[in-house]
Amino acid sequence: MKNALLRKILFAQIIVVLILLYVGCGRPSKLMHSIEMRDSSLLSIPPELASLSIDEVWVIVKPSAQAAADQEHPGCGAMVVDMGEEKEDVPLPLKHTDVKGYIYGYIASVDVTQQFHNPFDTKIEAEYVFPLPQNAAVDDFIMTIGDRKIRGIIRERQEAEKIYAEARSQGYVASLLTQERPNIFTQKVANIEPGKDIDVSIHYFNTLAYADGWYEFVFPMVVGPRYNPPCTTDGVGAVAYGSGGISGQKTEVQYLAPNQRSGHDIALSIEIDAGTILEDLECTSHVVSTEFPDDQQAAIAISPNDSIPNKDFVLRYKVAGDKVKSALVTHSDGTDNYFTMMLYPPEDLSHLKRAPMEMIFVLDCSGSMSGYPIETAKGAIKRALKKLEPDDTFQVIRFSSNASQLGPKPVQATPKNIRNAIDYVDKLRGSGGTQMIEGIKAALDFEHDPHRLRLVSFMTDGYIGNEAQILAAVYDKLGDSRIFSFGIGNSVNRYLLDRMAKLGKGAVAYIGLQDNSAEVVDLFYDRISHPALTDIEIDWGNMQVSDVFPSSVPDLFVGRPVILTGKFNGTTDSPIRIAGTVAGQPRQVVIPADTYETASSHEGVAAIWARKKIEQLNAYMLAGIDEDFPEQIKNTALRYGLMSSYTAFVAVDSSRKTEGDHGVTVAVPVPVPDGVKYKTTVQERTVNN
Amino acid sequence: MKKTALIMVCLLSMVSVPTARTESQKPSEPIRFVPLHIYIDSGQAPLAAYQFELKTLAGHVEIVGVEGGEHPAFTHAPYYDPAALMNNRIIIASYSTDAQLPTGLTRIATLHLQITGNIEPDYELELTVAADPGGRRIQAKITYQKGDVQ
Repeated sequence: MKNALLRKILFAQIIVVLILLYVGCGRPSKLMHSIEMRDSSLLSIPPELASLSIDEVWVIVKPSAQAAADQEHPGCGAMVVDMGEEKEDVPLPLKHTDVKGYIYGYIASVDVTQQFHNPFDTKIEAEYVFPLPQNAAVDDFIMTIGDRKIRGIIRERQEAEKIYAEARSQGYVASLLTQERPNIFTQKVANIEPGKDIDVSIHYFNTLAYADGWYEFVFPMVVGPRYNPPCTTDGVGAVAYGSGGISGQKTEVQYLAPNQRSGHDIALSIEIDAGTILEDLECTSHVVSTEFPDDQQAAIAISPNDSIPNKDFVLRYKVAGDKVKSALVTHSDGTDNYFTMMLYPPEDLSHLKRAPMEMIFVLDCSGSMSGYPIETAKGAIKRALKKLEPDDTFQVIRFSSNASQLGPKPVQATPKNIRNAIDYVDKLRGSGGTQMIEGIKAALDFEHDPHRLRLVSFMTDGYIGNEAQILAAVYDKLGDSRIFSFGIGNSVNRYLLDRMAKLGKGAVAYIGLQDNSAEVVDLFYDRISHPALTDIEIDWGNMQVSDVFPSSVPDLFVGRPVILTGKFNGTTDSPIRIAGTVAGQPRQVVIPADTYETASSHEGVAAIWARKKIEQLNAYMLAGIDEDFPEQIKNTALRYGLMSSYTAFVAVDSSRKTEGDHGVTVAVPVPVPDGVKYKTTVQERTVNN
Repeated sequence: MKKTALIMVCLLSMVSVPTARTESQKPSEPIRFVPLHIYIDSGQAPLAAYQFELKTLAGHVEIVGVEGGEHPAFTHAPYYDPAALMNNRIIIASYSTDAQLPTGLTRIATLHLQITGNIEPDYELELTVAADPGGRRIQAKITYQKGDVQ
């Protein structure tokens, strides 16, 4: 039975290769030059992207009630019982993922172990496309064969790919980790013999998001099915299990049909050492068990009954006081000193009121939003419409394969116009492709009222593969607009939405499918009802800083600090002075030295700094600035042993050759994210394919 | 069944043509993978930590994996310095807090290597430091042995 399946997969792969070779797509040669193609295809990205950093993005609010919580014991939930229909078991080479995280202050150190197993009776190569947080600094890689552990080596990507290919062809057990997007990675494991297990462990550091007193740890579990516009090959294809190759995209994810299931499950545990008293803690996505060894620490684990990896794990916690005790964290690697710090907005901003708004709602009505996601988004728009004030104007735009809108131009927020808009929104349905570019054009192309602040609010899951094109369009057309988006769903493309928010000088809010969208919208409007501290300049005192990322400090909004990371040569014994403007008036904020003189140390700070440098170099490169950024990115990544687009981890067990050739490549299929409809998002093989 | 097999053979031969052409244009230097075992002899002193540096004196060698040693205190994969790797050398280090530590001659690591070409590689190995559980430097000797592929 399993051999029959393998033969089918092999046969399908041959057919696909033939189609690509002889029908005209030329995919094999494009694959060989994938890195070069990616570079040239993204040169239209704007220079402003160069200052983007994910940690700067103001995330207003996050999903808050996706898992059933036990009210008596915070974080402990009810048992989940699957009453679904009987499903076909799909044998696959990834049986378990184990995630162990340790959080100190606002830095997470996470180990992810993928346990591969060959359930077939012939050798295989396993291939798994999986997500990690978009700001993860991946710095370690270990392949485990039985009791033996082999640490992988960071190499220039093409070199690593060649080493892996050679080891694979010669019959050695080998593994390769490559980065397809900052938040999408591919793991390959070659020559897994029948019945054998091989574990691959990845380690990363990342900084946590912080808003309104809450820290947030997110671990994505599945790559959402992306829509790739026609004529693109650099996207992330979404195809049915066993239909590998039909998307024509460089990276491809195979999805299980609703009537299929795999044995792949996930265990996740997190330990928190807040360094100060933990006031509150909630897991917003999963059923978890929680223990509190003392008032500063917590241990959280996903319930075994909630172990299907089909949605983001979201953990939030709040510490005593308004600000974290150790806002400044440092590290010395013997050669350089590094720091990372949280910069808080002035507290009195919350007393000032906003100017009239021109509010543009842009609703993603594509197939992936069909059903519950679009209903959640519609609920959010209707709530937001009711929050508008009489001086405001608004417009509603929908897009899928094309775009259309409520009226030719924004209208005054009168009760009648709002009622008409609600009727219009009620009739919208989800189907078709995700031509987000059409939505951006429709939202940003028309002339805007100079007396009003234009806010453009995208409501989308972000399931597209042409992120670079979308971000370039946002830059080209942004003008005076600000983008305040809502990510809708349980496994949103946060990389895209976070960057749109930053490039759009705005913010993003995430609404899970079980969330109360009204609460999220209310908080959103509360936050944008105050002006921000802008045009920020920092006097670092005696620290003698250099290479600070982001290089230009973003606006500071109420409830949203910004994380700055850099090197320093001096001391931390003098105050830091922040100068900026609020509503056109100059403002200065002084951070006394005693706020951070007890700066803590964390070994991850150097890796986090290097990850931010790579992010900035990548942005410069995408902006078309004429320097050899690939070489700089590669050298930075190699110097700090980090994953990037130009580096990869490879590990080979040279002590033993397996018998026979390398066997068949078997992709690890994944479930579609919770709340996403398979039928409207996943490409299936047809007779013509 | 025979018809299916025939189609498969035809398809595979069609696929393999361009691959064969491409490979025939490349210089055909042999590539092989071999392990290199590293040993430290710390005499009577218990070995708690070490750091060594390996350079290649001859041959084209790429390090493709770092594995731990034979004693339970050092079975975990040692760490390497990625910055040193950029300069065609590798610095490996490890430590153990175990109560039971190795003495005498023990294999502390195995390096997995990719060797390109026909030149038999030669290596220079330098033990930067070896230390006991108290962090005190100890006298020790480092050697290597070319391993076999099973």
